[in-house]
Amino acid sequence: MPNVRVWFLDLATLGIRSPAGLSPYSDTGSMWKFAWRNLLTRPLRTALALIGLSIPILGVIGLFSLSEAMRNLIGTTLSRVQGVVVLREGAFSPVFSDLTSDLLEKIAAVPGVRAVTPEIWKIAPSVEGRSAAGNIVRNVLTRDPKAPSKQLQNMLDQPIIVGQDPTRRAQIKSEVFPKALLKGEAGGRYLEPSDVGSNHVVISTKIARDNPMPDGQPRKVGDFIDIGGKPFEIIGLYETGSMFLDVVVIMPIDTARKLLNVSPDTVSSFYVEGDNPALNEELTARIEQALDGVDGRSPNEFASNFGSLMSQLDLFLLATVSLALLVGVVGIINTMLMSTTERFAEFGVLRTNGWSRRHVLTLVTAESAYLGLLAGVVGFVLALVFTLVANQFLTSTGLSLTITPRNALLGILLSLVMGMLGGFYPAWKASRMVPMAAIRLGAS
Amino acid sequence: MIAVENVRKTFRSGSHDVEALRGLSCKIDRGRLAFIVGPSGSGKSTLLYLLGALDLPSSGSILVDGHDLTKLSETDTNTYRRDHVGFIFQSFNLIGNLTCVENVLIPFLPRGVTAAQKARAVELLTDVGLKHRLDHRPRQLSGGEQQRVAIARALVKDPKLLLADEPTGELDSKTGDEIYKILRHLQAQRQTTLVIVTHDRRFITSNDQVIEIQDGQLVGEDLYQTRADLR
Repeated sequence: MPNVRVWFLDLATLGIRSPAGLSPYSDTGSMWKFAWRNLLTRPLRTALALIGLSIPILGVIGLFSLSEAMRNLIGTTLSRVQGVVVLREGAFSPVFSDLTSDLLEKIAAVPGVRAVTPEIWKIAPSVEGRSAAGNIVRNVLTRDPKAPSKQLQNMLDQPIIVGQDPTRRAQIKSEVFPKALLKGEAGGRYLEPSDVGSNHVVISTKIARDNPMPDGQPRKVGDFIDIGGKPFEIIGLYETGSMFLDVVVIMPIDTARKLLNVSPDTVSSFYVEGDNPALNEELTARIEQALDGVDGRSPNEFASNFGSLMSQLDLFLLATVSLALLVGVVGIINTMLMSTTERFAEFGVLRTNGWSRRHVLTLVTAESAYLGLLAGVVGFVLALVFTLVANQFLTSTGLSLTITPRNALLGILLSLVMGMLGGFYPAWKASRMVPMAAIRLGAS
Repeated sequence: MIAVENVRKTFRSGSHDVEALRGLSCKIDRGRLAFIVGPSGSGKSTLLYLLGALDLPSSGSILVDGHDLTKLSETDTNTYRRDHVGFIFQSFNLIGNLTCVENVLIPFLPRGVTAAQKARAVELLTDVGLKHRLDHRPRQLSGGEQQRVAIARALVKDPKLLLADEPTGELDSKTGDEIYKILRHLQAQRQTTLVIVTHDRRFITSNDQVIEIQDGQLVGEDLYQTRADLR
């Protein structure tokens, strides 16, 4: 009868047969039961090994889930941006970019450019007396166990000042923030040419909530908010639902310059709209060709850059999780070694009764595969619980962790492979024993 | 017929070699009941294990029905162990996670158990008086019952050679008597060659062959001579 063989395993041993082998056997699952019972014989040891591997698997699945949530959020955020951002060559974001103001006319002259507006992007000096650095220190020093979500949220919510030219902005059709204003009176209005030189700001509902009035109520249109030690009147409230956008305080560009000590000759970036958003890639190429020292970034390019960054982050985190996986595998090796050492006589008896080395190898590997599979399932369940809990804390960030079937399967398969790898050496060792020596060692 | 020819077996023990068998030769006729006797450490069990192909001699040959065990391939050795030899150990060596029936079926587990094999296992367990213990685990059985399961396991493949290493060594004398009774009955019924290592010579009868070993060498193969020595 032809048996199915994969690598070192004799799958027939486990009751898995090739179609041609259908089958005079009445009970081909006996080996699975045998392997399973061997695991259950020492439940505490099995449970400890299982925990050792399932926690790194939780880390892997959780990491994939977080990474995917970040990518989704970025994708959703960037899908709202239809223009091109021009910033200093090599700058990661407008916050870290500076360009000369006179580039505006040169950009406007590039064929295909329909509208262009200068912007200043800087981290807010302070909001309601709290600076960015101060917020970070405060987050570290003052942990409120009753509100862990607040801690995490604050770390992610350092406000950013965006200075816009209200006059030029009027030509822009695709801006994100004006479209995200709350409906009705609560939303107020966006910046207009009449706001030039004023201390008017448009803020997100999140900033309004995070910096409430003395009575604890969120700030609303018409209220004032202290930024950099100066009072600013809130004229509009927006909500995009994205943690990357809902941290922005929008004010007239000249006001931002004064507040942030930015010279009139300098801007952070330019927001450019082309005649046809579908041709943004070509537009950025033309801008980069026409001007030295600038990068034109389309939403796709931002997404790609972010994707690369996320991939590097994934690699780093995977490397970290790999260490935990390694410890888990060592735990499996330890468990299986102890198990096989205690069972020398048993292996001797099996060999005495005609079991080949391959059969013994398969039996022990099946046990460690069970262990890996179980650890994968447990890790998956832990990851499910983790995402459910984490999502409670992340509601306001726009991040939503989900475990896709692909990630769940990957995690469980990884665990299975780790289990089998961990069991291979003890299995090999058990299979190589001379039956007589095994029986005598077992009896002694 | 079994022919052991000038067999030597050396073990490594720490920094020195121990010679368990020193050029031993003997013959056992097919269908015979043979006892291997001798003091502790004389090499009795080593000889038995070599007959079961559980290890290879350092030199010499062991012929079973004309086939030299020392020249068998790994696969043929496994087949020999699986299909042609039954082994009974002093300490029973049942597997604790398996029921009595499953223990008996161990030789067949890797390839899947047929209904006929299972029926045969039940029949054998019934023959040795364990019909009511089929699904019990070894820890639920007495020593005598465990050894009877081991006998059923050794017989389930209808071996032409049955090897028993001190089968009553861990049993009280009454239970030991029962086990010998069973072994003799089954051997006579099946005409299986049965080789027993023992210290206990009271079970030896005039029809049995006796192989006496001392310091790894044969000191007596003739039944009457050995029995005369005993007297």
